[in-house]
Amino acid sequence: MAIERKECEHAISVLQTTKKALMEKDSLLLNDLSNNMIHSSCSYQDAGSITAAVLIYALSKLMARGDYRKIKNWDLFVKKLNSILDLAILALGEYNSEAYAQHMLRARKALESVSHSLKPYIEEVLRKASINKGGKLYEHGLSAEQTAKLLGITQWELSEYTGQKGGSEINLNRTMSEKRRAQMAFDFFK
Amino acid sequence: MKVLIFDSGPLINLSMNGLLYILEELKKVFDGRFIIPEQVRYEVVDRPIKIPRFELGALKIRGLIEDGILEMPGSLDIDKEQIIKETLFLMSKANKCINAKDNWLHLISEAETSCLAVSSELTRRGVENMIAIDERTTRVLTEKPENLEKLMSKKLHSRVVLSGDLSDFKNFRFIRSTELVYVAYKKGLLRINGSEVLEAVLYATKYMGSSVSFEEIDELKKLKIV
Repeated sequence: MAIERKECEHAISVLQTTKKALMEKDSLLLNDLSNNMIHSSCSYQDAGSITAAVLIYALSKLMARGDYRKIKNWDLFVKKLNSILDLAILALGEYNSEAYAQHMLRARKALESVSHSLKPYIEEVLRKASINKGGKLYEHGLSAEQTAKLLGITQWELSEYTGQKGGSEINLNRTMSEKRRAQMAFDFFK
Repeated sequence: MKVLIFDSGPLINLSMNGLLYILEELKKVFDGRFIIPEQVRYEVVDRPIKIPRFELGALKIRGLIEDGILEMPGSLDIDKEQIIKETLFLMSKANKCINAKDNWLHLISEAETSCLAVSSELTRRGVENMIAIDERTTRVLTEKPENLEKLMSKKLHSRVVLSGDLSDFKNFRFIRSTELVYVAYKKGLLRINGSEVLEAVLYATKYMGSSVSFEEIDELKKLKIV
């Protein structure tokens, strides 16, 4: 889906701040930026912003845990990543959501291949980042299946994750008294 | 005859909790059929069977299909093409009912909507039916759409408007895996005993994705249903 001008400007701002946060190794800021990106992607559900949110969250985790230190040439990787983010910013400046999505996919692949020995670990960090961001989209009101599709995860992974979170406690989820629903179920099986 | 239509959530939930056997037990005491649409089968069998972590769960569900506990809509002479057509129709309506920032929000997808499509068809035929669904969005959209409008407005920090024609979404009935295990407990079908069992199975469904609150679980525990 094409994203509109205001959203492009917002994504540009997030990516520019991401570049800065990466240079300064600011994991908290990266985490906030990721939440910011997934929040805004709920409306347009564009692939570029969803990939960006997952990638930025994964980077925040690598920073927070200090795992980036295990990656040789980390600084070189950050330079490469930032140059890809520049291309994504350019694409957004032209409101080209397809090119934006492709550049974000390249950025993700760059992270996946940054270290041969850490590849499985990084893939796991990215998978967990996808589930985490999926949880956020589900909280925002998208269905479980729609969320899983957008993030490329299974509903099995999403069910486990959302079950541990407090989303079900929101009163607006309640659409019928529990007594009535239980009675309905009981009568159905009579 | 009655029909219970399954979305992916309750099957995943029961599988991960080791409670799929309650479907076999319920089937024995139930004058009806358990149906899963093709799109749900993909989510609970065809896709996870290729993922090592979920392969066993998917195999268990496939076993239920092979044993005839779970059946495809074709077993009720419901045409596949008809379900696809109705699914697309309902999806087009549902995904054009909530507007944020001059944009229609794509809320629900094929598998969930195909359950609604099967239910619609059965209702047209005069067959009593119900949908087992754990996720919240489809249920709230049909039972109390204004709640979804409020929830999304709150979450998106902007005005979300509920509009469009939701008249086709009025007559669906839903239960969750939570109510399924409740019924199984009440009918003495659980294979574990003890005073804490009801509470334990209700919490287990919650922690595997059933959209049920602690308050609702407390109410269920205290209910006296006959």
